[in-house]
Amino acid sequence: MGWILDVSPHILVLHTRQGEQRLPLAACAQAWRGSKLPPAALRRGDHVIVRRQFPGGPAVDRIWAQAGRVTGTIVEREGPTALLIDEGPAKGRKIVVIAAEATGRIQVRFPRLEPGYLIDVIGLKHDGFLQALIPATSQPPYRAGHPPTPPLVSGHVPDPVSGTAVWHEPGEEPDDLLGLAYPALDPETSCERAGAAAKGAAGDLHAVDPHATGPGCVRLPYLSVGSTLRLQNECAKRSRLLPVTSCGAMARLFCDRFVTCGTSRKGRIADLTMAAFVELGGMLEDGCFNATMTIGG
Amino acid sequence: MLTTVRDVQIPLLAALLLGACASKGWRAVQTRSIVAAMDATGLFPLRLGRPMMVAMCVTELGLGLGLIATAGRAGAGGAGLLATVVRVGAALFFLLAVAVLNETRQRRPQAGCGCFGDLSETPIGWRTIARAGVLCAAAAVTIRLPPLRMPSSASTAALWLAIAAFELALIAFLSPELGEVLVRLGYSEPCELRRLPVGQTLTALHSSSQWRRYAGQVSTSAPADVWREGCWRFVVYPGSARGRPVDIVFAVYLQARRRPPVRVAVLDADTDEVLGRAELARLGLSTRL
Repeated sequence: MGWILDVSPHILVLHTRQGEQRLPLAACAQAWRGSKLPPAALRRGDHVIVRRQFPGGPAVDRIWAQAGRVTGTIVEREGPTALLIDEGPAKGRKIVVIAAEATGRIQVRFPRLEPGYLIDVIGLKHDGFLQALIPATSQPPYRAGHPPTPPLVSGHVPDPVSGTAVWHEPGEEPDDLLGLAYPALDPETSCERAGAAAKGAAGDLHAVDPHATGPGCVRLPYLSVGSTLRLQNECAKRSRLLPVTSCGAMARLFCDRFVTCGTSRKGRIADLTMAAFVELGGMLEDGCFNATMTIGG
Repeated sequence: MLTTVRDVQIPLLAALLLGACASKGWRAVQTRSIVAAMDATGLFPLRLGRPMMVAMCVTELGLGLGLIATAGRAGAGGAGLLATVVRVGAALFFLLAVAVLNETRQRRPQAGCGCFGDLSETPIGWRTIARAGVLCAAAAVTIRLPPLRMPSSASTAALWLAIAAFELALIAFLSPELGEVLVRLGYSEPCELRRLPVGQTLTALHSSSQWRRYAGQVSTSAPADVWREGCWRFVVYPGSARGRPVDIVFAVYLQARRRPPVRVAVLDADTDEVLGRAELARLGLSTRL
Protein backbone atom coordinates (compact mmCIF):
# COMPACT_ATOMS: atom_id res chain seq x y z
CA MET A 1 0.00 0.00 0.00
CA GLY A 2 1.20 3.50 -0.66
CA TRP A 3 0.83 6.67 -2.65
CA ILE A 4 1.74 6.90 -6.33
CA LEU A 5 4.85 8.96 -7.02
CA ASP A 6 5.06 7.95 -10.65
CA VAL A 7 3.54 5.40 -12.96
CA SER A 8 4.37 4.18 -16.42
CA PRO A 9 3.14 1.16 -18.40
CA HIS A 10 5.95 -0.89 -16.87
CA ILE A 11 6.86 0.56 -13.49
CA LEU A 12 4.89 1.80 -10.52
CA VAL A 13 6.73 4.01 -8.04
CA LEU A 14 5.12 4.22 -4.63
CA HIS A 15 5.73 6.17 -1.47
CA THR A 16 5.18 3.66 1.32
CA ARG A 17 5.84 3.52 5.04
CA GLN A 18 9.12 1.80 4.22
CA GLY A 19 10.12 4.59 1.80
CA GLU A 20 10.09 4.71 -1.98
CA GLN A 21 9.35 1.42 -3.75
CA ARG A 22 9.66 0.67 -7.45
CA LEU A 23 7.37 -2.15 -8.54
CA PRO A 24 7.51 -3.77 -11.98
CA LEU A 25 4.13 -4.19 -13.62
CA ALA A 26 3.19 -7.51 -15.23
CA ALA A 27 2.16 -7.41 -18.87
CA CYS A 28 -1.37 -8.33 -17.86
CA ALA A 29 -1.52 -5.74 -15.05
CA GLN A 30 -4.86 -4.03 -14.58
CA ALA A 31 -5.85 -1.10 -12.43
CA TRP A 32 -9.12 -0.07 -10.84
CA ARG A 33 -10.07 3.50 -10.09
CA GLY A 34 -13.82 3.41 -9.99
CA SER A 35 -13.65 1.26 -13.10
CA LYS A 36 -11.04 -0.86 -14.81
CA LEU A 37 -8.35 1.09 -16.61
CA PRO A 38 -4.72 0.68 -17.69
CA PRO A 39 -2.19 1.27 -14.89
CA ALA A 40 -0.64 4.22 -16.73
CA ALA A 41 -3.97 6.04 -16.39
CA LEU A 42 -3.63 6.23 -12.61
CA ARG A 43 -2.86 9.61 -11.06
CA ARG A 44 0.05 10.77 -8.98
CA GLY A 45 -0.89 11.06 -5.35
CA ASP A 46 -3.49 8.30 -5.53
CA HIS A 47 -3.56 5.97 -2.57
CA VAL A 48 -3.18 2.46 -3.94
CA ILE A 49 -3.05 -1.13 -2.85
CA VAL A 50 -1.33 -3.64 -5.10
CA ARG A 51 -1.43 -7.38 -5.58
CA ARG A 52 1.64 -9.36 -6.59
CA GLN A 53 1.28 -11.65 -9.58
CA PHE A 54 2.83 -14.49 -7.58
CA PRO A 55 2.99 -14.50 -3.78
CA GLY A 56 6.39 -13.11 -2.77
CA GLY A 57 7.27 -12.18 -6.35
CA PRO A 58 8.20 -8.67 -7.51
CA ALA A 59 5.69 -8.14 -10.33
CA VAL A 60 2.35 -6.48 -9.71
CA ASP A 61 -0.71 -7.59 -11.66
CA ARG A 62 -3.48 -5.69 -9.95
CA ILE A 63 -3.72 -2.15 -8.58
CA TRP A 64 -6.63 -0.53 -6.78
CA ALA A 65 -6.52 3.24 -6.47
CA GLN A 66 -8.51 5.30 -3.96
CA ALA A 67 -10.68 2.27 -3.16
CA GLY A 68 -12.96 2.81 -0.20
CA ARG A 69 -15.92 1.18 1.41
CA VAL A 70 -18.60 2.26 3.83
CA THR A 71 -20.65 -0.31 5.70
CA GLY A 72 -23.16 0.74 8.31
CA THR A 73 -26.49 2.23 9.19
CA ILE A 74 -27.93 5.22 7.38
CA VAL A 75 -28.49 7.91 10.00
CA GLU A 76 -29.24 10.88 7.79
CA ARG A 77 -30.12 11.59 4.20
CA GLU A 78 -29.42 14.92 2.53
CA GLY A 79 -31.00 15.18 -0.88
CA PRO A 80 -31.21 12.21 -3.20
CA THR A 81 -27.55 11.18 -3.10
CA ALA A 82 -25.82 12.29 0.12
CA LEU A 83 -25.96 9.99 3.12
CA LEU A 84 -24.47 10.03 6.59
CA ILE A 85 -23.53 6.52 7.64
CA ASP A 86 -22.82 5.26 11.14
CA GLU A 87 -20.22 2.48 11.07
CA GLY A 88 -20.59 1.59 14.73
CA PRO A 89 -19.06 2.92 17.95
CA ALA A 90 -15.50 2.00 16.98
CA LYS A 91 -15.40 3.53 13.50
CA GLY A 92 -17.69 6.53 13.75
CA ARG A 93 -19.48 8.14 10.84
CA LYS A 94 -18.77 8.69 7.18
CA ILE A 95 -20.35 10.66 4.39
CA VAL A 96 -21.36 8.82 1.24
CA VAL A 97 -22.22 10.59 -1.98
CA ILE A 98 -23.75 8.33 -4.59
CA ALA A 99 -22.22 9.03 -7.98
CA ALA A 100 -24.75 10.11 -10.59
CA GLU A 101 -23.80 7.27 -12.94
CA ALA A 102 -24.24 4.71 -10.14
CA THR A 103 -27.55 5.92 -8.72
CA GLY A 104 -29.73 3.41 -10.55
CA ARG A 105 -27.40 0.53 -9.89
CA ILE A 106 -27.21 1.27 -6.18
CA GLN A 107 -30.91 1.95 -5.75
CA VAL A 108 -31.77 -1.39 -7.34
CA ARG A 109 -29.76 -3.16 -4.63
CA PHE A 110 -30.54 -0.64 -1.86
CA PRO A 111 -34.17 0.37 -2.37
CA ARG A 112 -34.45 1.96 1.07
CA LEU A 113 -31.92 4.72 1.36
CA GLU A 114 -33.60 5.88 4.54
CA PRO A 115 -32.39 6.39 8.10
CA GLY A 116 -32.39 3.15 10.05
CA TYR A 117 -31.56 0.85 7.13
CA LEU A 118 -28.24 -0.75 6.27
CA ILE A 119 -25.95 0.14 3.41
CA ASP A 120 -22.70 -1.31 2.12
CA VAL A 121 -21.10 0.42 -0.85
CA ILE A 122 -17.71 0.51 -2.55
CA GLY A 123 -16.33 3.49 -4.35
CA LEU A 124 -13.66 6.13 -4.56
CA LYS A 125 -12.28 7.85 -1.49
CA HIS A 126 -12.28 11.61 -1.64
CA ASP A 127 -11.41 14.21 0.93
CA GLY A 128 -14.04 13.70 3.62
CA PHE A 129 -16.45 11.44 1.75
CA LEU A 130 -16.81 8.30 -0.30
CA GLN A 131 -18.13 8.50 -3.82
CA ALA A 132 -20.26 5.37 -3.97
CA LEU A 133 -20.06 3.46 -7.25
CA ILE A 134 -20.75 -0.21 -6.54
CA PRO A 135 -23.27 -1.85 -4.22
CA ALA A 136 -21.28 -4.37 -2.19
CA THR A 137 -24.33 -6.48 -1.39
CA SER A 138 -28.11 -6.30 -1.47
CA GLN A 139 -29.87 -4.35 1.24
CA PRO A 140 -31.26 -6.51 4.04
CA PRO A 141 -35.05 -6.09 4.26
CA TYR A 142 -34.94 -5.56 8.03
CA ARG A 143 -33.95 -2.41 9.89
CA ALA A 144 -30.37 -2.31 11.11
CA GLY A 145 -31.23 -3.04 14.71
CA HIS A 146 -33.25 -6.17 13.97
CA PRO A 147 -31.22 -8.83 12.20
CA PRO A 148 -32.78 -12.29 12.19
CA THR A 149 -31.97 -14.68 14.98
CA PRO A 150 -29.57 -17.43 13.93
CA PRO A 151 -30.59 -21.06 14.34
CA LEU A 152 -29.65 -22.67 17.62
CA VAL A 153 -26.51 -24.77 17.70
CA SER A 154 -26.64 -28.20 19.20
CA GLY A 155 -23.39 -29.69 20.46
CA HIS A 156 -20.43 -27.54 19.52
CA VAL A 157 -20.05 -24.78 16.96
CA PRO A 158 -18.80 -26.36 13.72
CA ASP A 159 -15.11 -25.89 13.03
CA PRO A 160 -14.25 -24.91 10.36
CA VAL A 161 -17.10 -22.51 9.74
CA SER A 162 -18.10 -21.23 6.31
CA GLY A 163 -19.59 -17.95 5.22
CA THR A 164 -18.64 -14.68 3.60
CA ALA A 165 -15.48 -12.64 4.16
CA VAL A 166 -15.61 -8.93 3.45
CA TRP A 167 -13.09 -6.08 3.77
CA HIS A 168 -12.92 -2.74 5.52
CA GLU A 169 -10.85 0.40 5.23
CA PRO A 170 -7.86 0.60 7.56
CA GLY A 171 -9.12 3.48 9.70
CA GLU A 172 -6.65 3.84 12.55
CA GLU A 173 -4.92 0.56 11.74
CA PRO A 174 -1.67 0.52 9.75
CA ASP A 175 -2.35 0.38 5.99
CA ASP A 176 -0.48 -2.86 5.46
CA LEU A 177 -1.87 -4.71 8.46
CA LEU A 178 -2.72 -8.33 7.71
CA GLY A 179 -5.55 -9.17 10.03
CA LEU A 180 -9.28 -9.27 10.42
CA ALA A 181 -12.07 -7.77 12.41
CA TYR A 182 -13.92 -10.64 14.06
CA PRO A 183 -17.68 -10.41 14.54
CA ALA A 184 -17.81 -12.32 17.86
CA LEU A 185 -15.22 -10.96 20.23
CA ASP A 186 -15.60 -11.94 23.87
CA PRO A 187 -18.17 -9.47 25.21
CA GLU A 188 -16.55 -9.52 28.64
CA THR A 189 -13.12 -8.33 27.62
CA SER A 190 -13.28 -6.79 24.17
CA CYS A 191 -14.98 -4.16 22.06
CA GLU A 192 -18.45 -4.73 23.41
CA ARG A 193 -17.46 -2.74 26.47
CA ALA A 194 -16.16 0.10 24.33
CA GLY A 195 -19.37 -0.07 22.38
CA ALA A 196 -21.47 0.22 25.51
CA ALA A 197 -19.41 3.18 26.67
CA ALA A 198 -19.83 4.96 23.38
CA LYS A 199 -23.55 4.28 23.24
CA GLY A 200 -24.50 7.21 25.37
CA ALA A 201 -22.28 9.56 23.44
CA ALA A 202 -23.84 8.73 20.09
CA GLY A 203 -27.38 9.62 21.14
CA ASP A 204 -28.84 9.31 17.66
CA LEU A 205 -32.26 7.91 16.93
CA HIS A 206 -31.11 5.80 14.00
CA ALA A 207 -27.59 4.87 15.08
CA VAL A 208 -27.40 1.18 15.90
CA ASP A 209 -24.88 -0.35 18.25
CA PRO A 210 -24.21 -3.71 16.59
CA HIS A 211 -23.16 -5.16 19.94
CA ALA A 212 -26.71 -4.78 21.20
CA THR A 213 -28.43 -6.61 18.37
CA GLY A 214 -27.64 -10.21 19.27
CA PRO A 215 -25.24 -12.68 17.75
CA GLY A 216 -26.11 -11.96 14.13
CA CYS A 217 -26.65 -14.52 11.39
CA VAL A 218 -23.81 -16.88 12.14
CA ARG A 219 -23.06 -18.46 15.47
CA LEU A 220 -19.32 -17.93 15.91
CA PRO A 221 -17.27 -18.93 18.95
CA TYR A 222 -16.14 -16.06 21.12
CA LEU A 223 -12.52 -15.05 20.55
CA SER A 224 -10.31 -12.12 21.53
CA VAL A 225 -8.06 -9.62 19.79
CA GLY A 226 -4.81 -11.51 19.14
CA SER A 227 -6.43 -14.89 18.50
CA THR A 228 -5.33 -16.46 15.24
CA LEU A 229 -7.50 -17.98 12.53
CA ARG A 230 -6.83 -19.71 9.27
CA LEU A 231 -8.95 -18.19 6.56
CA GLN A 232 -9.33 -19.78 3.15
CA ASN A 233 -10.62 -17.97 0.11
CA GLU A 234 -12.72 -20.67 -1.51
CA CYS A 235 -12.85 -18.76 -4.80
CA ALA A 236 -9.09 -18.27 -5.19
CA LYS A 237 -8.12 -21.34 -3.11
CA ARG A 238 -5.69 -19.26 -1.08
CA SER A 239 -5.43 -19.52 2.68
CA ARG A 240 -3.49 -17.75 5.37
CA LEU A 241 -3.14 -17.61 9.12
CA LEU A 242 -4.41 -14.22 10.31
CA PRO A 243 -4.67 -12.57 13.70
CA VAL A 244 -7.84 -10.96 14.98
CA THR A 245 -6.93 -7.29 15.05
CA SER A 246 -10.18 -5.50 15.75
CA CYS A 247 -13.87 -5.73 16.45
CA GLY A 248 -16.11 -6.57 13.50
CA ALA A 249 -19.49 -6.40 15.16
CA MET A 250 -21.00 -4.50 12.21
CA ALA A 251 -20.64 -7.70 10.16
CA ARG A 252 -23.23 -9.34 12.42
CA LEU A 253 -25.95 -7.15 10.97
CA PHE A 254 -25.60 -8.58 7.46
CA CYS A 255 -27.05 -11.98 6.55
CA ASP A 256 -25.92 -11.92 2.96
CA ARG A 257 -24.31 -14.47 0.69
CA PHE A 258 -21.54 -14.12 -1.86
CA VAL A 259 -22.64 -15.57 -5.19
CA THR A 260 -19.84 -14.87 -7.66
CA CYS A 261 -18.14 -18.28 -7.31
CA GLY A 262 -20.92 -20.48 -6.05
CA THR A 263 -23.27 -19.53 -3.27
CA SER A 264 -21.68 -19.05 0.11
CA ARG A 265 -23.35 -19.86 3.38
CA LYS A 266 -25.38 -17.05 4.86
CA GLY A 267 -23.66 -14.43 7.02
CA ARG A 268 -20.32 -12.68 7.37
CA ILE A 269 -17.65 -14.54 9.30
CA ALA A 270 -14.72 -12.15 8.88
CA ASP A 271 -14.13 -8.52 8.02
CA LEU A 272 -10.60 -8.42 6.63
CA THR A 273 -8.22 -5.52 6.38
CA MET A 274 -7.74 -4.43 2.76
CA ALA A 275 -4.22 -5.84 2.72
CA ALA A 276 -5.36 -9.23 4.00
CA PHE A 277 -8.30 -9.34 1.58
CA VAL A 278 -6.03 -8.69 -1.39
CA GLU A 279 -3.38 -11.08 -0.05
CA LEU A 280 -5.99 -13.85 0.00
CA GLY A 281 -6.82 -13.23 -3.64
CA GLY A 282 -9.93 -11.13 -3.13
CA MET A 283 -10.99 -8.43 -5.58
CA LEU A 284 -11.82 -5.26 -3.70
CA GLU A 285 -14.50 -4.23 -6.18
CA ASP A 286 -16.32 -7.56 -5.61
CA GLY A 287 -16.58 -6.74 -1.91
CA CYS A 288 -16.44 -10.29 -0.57
CA PHE A 289 -15.51 -13.90 -1.18
CA ASN A 290 -16.61 -17.34 0.00
CA ALA A 291 -14.50 -18.19 3.00
CA THR A 292 -13.82 -21.05 5.36
CA MET A 293 -12.43 -20.22 8.75
CA THR A 294 -10.60 -22.54 11.12
CA ILE A 295 -10.04 -21.37 14.67
CA GLY A 296 -6.39 -21.48 15.66
CA GLY A 297 -5.31 -22.55 12.18
CA MET B 1 -70.88 -36.70 19.81
CA LEU B 2 -71.06 -34.11 17.03
CA THR B 3 -72.23 -31.47 19.50
CA THR B 4 -69.26 -32.30 21.75
CA VAL B 5 -66.88 -31.94 18.80
CA ARG B 6 -68.40 -28.54 18.05
CA ASP B 7 -68.20 -27.55 21.73
CA VAL B 8 -64.47 -28.25 21.88
CA GLN B 9 -63.61 -25.93 19.00
CA ILE B 10 -64.30 -22.61 20.70
CA PRO B 11 -61.81 -22.90 23.58
CA LEU B 12 -59.23 -24.44 21.24
CA LEU B 13 -59.57 -21.70 18.65
CA ALA B 14 -59.50 -19.01 21.32
CA ALA B 15 -56.37 -20.48 22.90
CA LEU B 16 -54.59 -20.68 19.53
CA LEU B 17 -55.54 -17.16 18.52
CA LEU B 18 -54.48 -15.69 21.85
CA GLY B 19 -51.31 -17.80 21.82
CA ALA B 20 -50.39 -16.50 18.37
CA CYS B 21 -50.95 -12.93 19.52
CA ALA B 22 -49.03 -13.51 22.75
CA SER B 23 -46.03 -15.01 20.97
CA LYS B 24 -45.76 -11.90 18.82
CA GLY B 25 -46.15 -9.73 21.93
CA TRP B 26 -43.50 -11.77 23.73
CA ARG B 27 -41.06 -11.09 20.92
CA ALA B 28 -41.82 -7.39 21.20
CA VAL B 29 -41.05 -7.56 24.93
CA GLN B 30 -37.87 -9.54 24.36
CA THR B 31 -36.52 -7.19 21.74
CA ARG B 32 -38.02 -4.16 23.50
CA SER B 33 -39.33 -3.08 20.16
CA ILE B 34 -42.74 -3.54 18.66
CA VAL B 35 -41.11 -2.87 15.31
CA ALA B 36 -38.98 -6.01 15.63
CA ALA B 37 -41.92 -8.17 16.54
CA MET B 38 -44.03 -6.83 13.73
CA ASP B 39 -41.39 -6.81 11.03
CA ALA B 40 -42.44 -8.16 7.71
CA THR B 41 -42.42 -11.93 7.50
CA GLY B 42 -42.58 -12.16 3.76
CA LEU B 43 -46.35 -12.40 3.53
CA PHE B 44 -46.84 -8.89 2.31
CA PRO B 45 -44.99 -6.25 0.28
CA LEU B 46 -42.34 -4.50 2.35
CA ARG B 47 -44.25 -1.25 2.84
CA LEU B 48 -47.39 -3.10 3.92
CA GLY B 49 -45.63 -5.71 6.00
CA ARG B 50 -45.57 -4.00 9.37
CA PRO B 51 -49.10 -2.51 9.36
CA MET B 52 -50.49 -5.83 8.17
CA MET B 53 -48.71 -7.73 10.93
CA VAL B 54 -50.03 -5.27 13.54
CA ALA B 55 -53.53 -5.63 12.10
CA MET B 56 -53.20 -9.42 12.19
CA CYS B 57 -52.10 -9.37 15.81
CA VAL B 58 -55.01 -7.12 16.78
CA THR B 59 -57.42 -9.33 14.83
CA GLU B 60 -56.14 -12.45 16.60
CA LEU B 61 -56.55 -10.79 19.96
CA GLY B 62 -60.05 -9.53 19.10
CA LEU B 63 -61.25 -12.88 17.73
CA GLY B 64 -59.72 -14.82 20.63
CA LEU B 65 -61.36 -12.64 23.25
CA GLY B 66 -64.55 -12.47 21.22
CA LEU B 67 -64.84 -16.27 21.02
CA ILE B 68 -64.48 -16.54 24.80
CA ALA B 69 -66.82 -13.66 25.56
CA THR B 70 -69.58 -14.94 23.27
CA ALA B 71 -69.21 -18.65 24.05
CA GLY B 72 -72.22 -18.65 26.32
CA ARG B 73 -74.55 -17.02 23.82
CA ALA B 74 -76.79 -18.64 21.27
CA GLY B 75 -75.89 -18.29 17.64
CA ALA B 76 -79.25 -16.81 16.64
CA GLY B 77 -80.36 -13.17 16.58
CA GLY B 78 -80.12 -10.55 19.31
CA ALA B 79 -77.22 -11.08 21.70
CA GLY B 80 -76.34 -14.25 19.81
CA LEU B 81 -75.74 -12.30 16.63
CA LEU B 82 -72.44 -11.10 18.04
CA ALA B 83 -71.36 -14.70 18.64
CA THR B 84 -72.21 -15.58 15.04
CA VAL B 85 -70.29 -12.57 13.75
CA VAL B 86 -67.20 -13.50 15.76
CA ARG B 87 -67.31 -17.14 14.66
CA VAL B 88 -67.86 -16.26 11.00
CA GLY B 89 -65.02 -13.75 11.38
CA ALA B 90 -62.74 -16.48 12.76
CA ALA B 91 -63.66 -18.83 9.88
CA LEU B 92 -62.97 -16.09 7.32
CA PHE B 93 -59.70 -15.22 9.06
CA PHE B 94 -58.41 -18.78 8.72
CA LEU B 95 -59.79 -19.11 5.18
CA LEU B 96 -57.86 -15.97 4.24
CA ALA B 97 -54.80 -17.41 5.98
CA VAL B 98 -54.99 -20.53 3.78
CA ALA B 99 -55.00 -18.39 0.66
CA VAL B 100 -52.21 -16.08 1.79
CA LEU B 101 -50.01 -18.93 3.00
CA ASN B 102 -50.44 -20.79 -0.25
CA GLU B 103 -49.61 -17.68 -2.25
CA THR B 104 -46.58 -16.92 -0.11
CA ARG B 105 -45.34 -20.48 -0.39
CA GLN B 106 -45.29 -20.15 -4.16
CA ARG B 107 -43.87 -16.64 -4.35
CA ARG B 108 -41.42 -16.75 -1.44
CA PRO B 109 -40.59 -20.35 -0.67
CA GLN B 110 -37.97 -19.37 1.92
CA ALA B 111 -40.32 -17.22 4.02
CA GLY B 112 -41.76 -18.40 7.31
CA CYS B 113 -45.37 -17.61 8.15
CA GLY B 114 -44.64 -15.67 11.35
CA CYS B 115 -47.86 -17.10 12.80
CA PHE B 116 -46.26 -17.62 16.21
CA GLY B 117 -43.61 -14.89 16.06
CA ASP B 118 -40.03 -16.04 15.74
CA LEU B 119 -41.06 -19.65 16.35
CA SER B 120 -42.50 -19.68 12.85
CA GLU B 121 -39.40 -19.05 10.77
CA THR B 122 -39.52 -22.46 9.09
CA PRO B 123 -40.44 -22.06 5.41
CA ILE B 124 -44.14 -22.51 4.80
CA GLY B 125 -45.02 -26.10 3.92
CA TRP B 126 -48.12 -28.12 3.39
CA ARG B 127 -48.46 -28.66 7.16
CA THR B 128 -48.77 -24.92 7.85
CA ILE B 129 -51.39 -24.55 5.13
CA ALA B 130 -53.27 -27.66 6.28
CA ARG B 131 -53.29 -26.33 9.84
CA ALA B 132 -54.95 -23.12 8.70
CA GLY B 133 -57.47 -25.25 6.78
CA VAL B 134 -58.25 -27.38 9.84
CA LEU B 135 -58.71 -24.27 11.95
CA CYS B 136 -60.97 -22.77 9.29
CA ALA B 137 -63.13 -25.90 9.39
CA ALA B 138 -63.08 -25.82 13.18
CA ALA B 139 -64.30 -22.23 13.18
CA ALA B 140 -66.96 -23.02 10.58
CA VAL B 141 -68.55 -25.79 12.67
CA THR B 142 -69.00 -23.39 15.60
CA ILE B 143 -71.37 -21.15 13.64
CA ARG B 144 -74.88 -21.37 15.12
CA LEU B 145 -73.56 -23.53 17.96
CA PRO B 146 -75.78 -23.46 21.09
CA PRO B 147 -74.30 -21.78 24.18
CA LEU B 148 -71.43 -23.71 25.79
CA ARG B 149 -72.16 -25.40 29.10
CA MET B 150 -70.13 -27.47 31.52
CA PRO B 151 -70.26 -31.25 30.78
CA SER B 152 -73.35 -32.83 32.32
CA SER B 153 -71.62 -36.10 33.30
CA ALA B 154 -68.20 -37.64 33.82
CA SER B 155 -68.46 -39.60 30.58
CA THR B 156 -69.26 -36.42 28.62
CA ALA B 157 -66.29 -34.69 30.23
CA ALA B 158 -64.03 -37.62 29.29
CA LEU B 159 -65.30 -37.51 25.71
CA TRP B 160 -64.77 -33.77 25.68
CA LEU B 161 -61.16 -34.19 26.86
CA ALA B 162 -60.47 -37.02 24.41
CA ILE B 163 -61.66 -34.94 21.46
CA ALA B 164 -59.64 -31.95 22.65
CA ALA B 165 -56.52 -34.11 23.05
CA PHE B 166 -56.97 -35.62 19.58
CA GLU B 167 -57.40 -32.23 17.99
CA LEU B 168 -54.45 -30.78 19.86
CA ALA B 169 -52.33 -33.70 18.69
CA LEU B 170 -53.48 -33.07 15.11
CA ILE B 171 -52.62 -29.38 15.36
CA ALA B 172 -49.26 -30.22 16.95
CA PHE B 173 -48.53 -32.60 14.07
CA LEU B 174 -49.35 -29.84 11.60
CA SER B 175 -47.26 -27.24 13.45
CA PRO B 176 -43.60 -26.87 12.42
CA GLU B 177 -43.22 -24.61 15.48
CA LEU B 178 -43.45 -27.62 17.79
CA GLY B 179 -39.95 -28.82 16.89
CA GLU B 180 -38.56 -25.34 17.54
CA VAL B 181 -40.30 -25.19 20.93
CA LEU B 182 -38.90 -28.58 21.94
CA VAL B 183 -35.40 -27.57 20.82
CA ARG B 184 -35.62 -24.36 22.86
CA LEU B 185 -36.92 -26.13 25.94
CA GLY B 186 -34.03 -28.58 25.94
CA TYR B 187 -31.40 -26.19 24.60
CA SER B 188 -28.13 -25.60 26.32
CA GLU B 189 -25.81 -23.06 24.73
CA PRO B 190 -22.47 -24.54 23.63
CA CYS B 191 -19.58 -23.33 25.77
CA GLU B 192 -18.10 -21.41 22.80
CA LEU B 193 -21.18 -19.19 22.72
CA ARG B 194 -21.85 -18.89 26.42
CA ARG B 195 -21.41 -15.48 28.02
CA LEU B 196 -19.65 -15.92 31.33
CA PRO B 197 -18.34 -13.00 33.37
CA VAL B 198 -14.61 -12.71 33.95
CA GLY B 199 -15.29 -12.54 37.69
CA GLN B 200 -16.81 -16.02 37.59
CA THR B 201 -13.76 -17.32 35.75
CA LEU B 202 -11.41 -15.79 38.32
CA THR B 203 -13.44 -17.22 41.18
CA ALA B 204 -13.27 -20.68 39.62
CA LEU B 205 -9.54 -20.25 39.03
CA HIS B 206 -8.80 -19.09 42.57
CA SER B 207 -10.54 -22.12 44.02
CA SER B 208 -8.65 -24.59 41.83
CA SER B 209 -5.75 -26.80 42.84
CA GLN B 210 -3.69 -25.39 39.96
CA TRP B 211 -3.98 -21.92 41.43
CA ARG B 212 -2.93 -23.13 44.87
CA ARG B 213 0.11 -24.79 43.34
CA TYR B 214 1.30 -21.65 41.57
CA ALA B 215 -0.06 -18.90 43.82
CA GLY B 216 3.30 -18.56 45.56
CA GLN B 217 4.97 -17.59 42.29
CA VAL B 218 2.34 -14.98 41.32
CA SER B 219 3.55 -11.45 42.03
CA THR B 220 0.39 -9.38 41.47
CA SER B 221 -3.16 -9.74 42.64
CA ALA B 222 -4.72 -8.70 39.34
CA PRO B 223 -4.13 -10.53 36.07
CA ALA B 224 -1.97 -8.84 33.46
CA ASP B 225 -4.12 -10.08 30.59
CA VAL B 226 -7.36 -11.95 30.08
CA TRP B 227 -8.61 -13.31 26.79
CA ARG B 228 -10.87 -15.98 25.44
CA GLU B 229 -10.74 -18.59 22.75
CA GLY B 230 -13.95 -20.53 22.35
CA CYS B 231 -14.50 -22.65 25.43
CA TRP B 232 -11.36 -21.48 27.23
CA ARG B 233 -10.58 -18.24 28.98
CA PHE B 234 -6.90 -17.47 29.51
CA VAL B 235 -5.64 -15.50 32.46
CA VAL B 236 -2.04 -14.34 32.68
CA TYR B 237 -0.34 -13.38 35.93
CA PRO B 238 3.21 -12.03 36.12
CA GLY B 239 5.39 -13.89 38.57
CA SER B 240 8.87 -15.15 39.27
CA ALA B 241 10.33 -18.65 39.31
CA ARG B 242 13.86 -19.41 40.39
CA GLY B 243 14.72 -15.75 40.26
CA ARG B 244 13.61 -15.13 36.65
CA PRO B 245 10.49 -13.21 35.64
CA VAL B 246 7.80 -15.47 34.25
CA ASP B 247 4.27 -15.30 32.91
CA ILE B 248 1.97 -17.85 34.48
CA VAL B 249 -0.85 -18.60 32.06
CA PHE B 250 -3.97 -20.30 33.35
CA ALA B 251 -6.61 -21.66 31.00
CA VAL B 252 -10.04 -22.06 32.57
CA TYR B 253 -12.74 -24.06 30.80
CA LEU B 254 -15.91 -22.01 30.50
CA GLN B 255 -18.72 -24.00 31.98
CA ALA B 256 -21.28 -23.38 34.66
CA ARG B 257 -19.95 -26.17 36.89
CA ARG B 258 -18.26 -25.10 40.10
CA ARG B 259 -14.98 -26.87 39.38
CA PRO B 260 -14.13 -26.41 35.71
CA PRO B 261 -10.92 -27.92 34.32
CA VAL B 262 -7.92 -25.58 34.69
CA ARG B 263 -4.64 -25.89 32.77
CA VAL B 264 -1.47 -23.95 33.40
CA ALA B 265 1.78 -23.09 31.66
CA VAL B 266 4.76 -21.09 32.90
CA LEU B 267 6.56 -19.04 30.28
CA ASP B 268 9.74 -17.03 30.44
CA ALA B 269 8.58 -13.41 30.42
CA ASP B 270 11.35 -12.33 28.05
CA THR B 271 11.62 -15.24 25.60
CA ASP B 272 8.16 -16.87 25.88
CA GLU B 273 9.96 -20.18 26.33
CA VAL B 274 7.72 -22.71 28.09
CA LEU B 275 9.32 -23.55 31.43
CA GLY B 276 6.88 -25.89 33.02
CA ARG B 277 3.69 -27.90 32.53
CA ALA B 278 3.04 -27.13 28.88
CA GLU B 279 -0.56 -28.28 29.14
CA LEU B 280 -1.86 -25.40 27.08
CA ALA B 281 -0.10 -26.63 23.97
CA ARG B 282 -2.40 -29.65 23.98
CA LEU B 283 -5.50 -27.47 23.77
CA GLY B 284 -4.81 -26.86 20.08
CA LEU B 285 -5.63 -23.18 20.33
CA SER B 286 -4.10 -20.14 18.74
CA THR B 287 -0.48 -19.10 18.88
CA ARG B 288 -1.29 -15.92 20.72
CA LEU B 289 0.92 -16.96 23.61
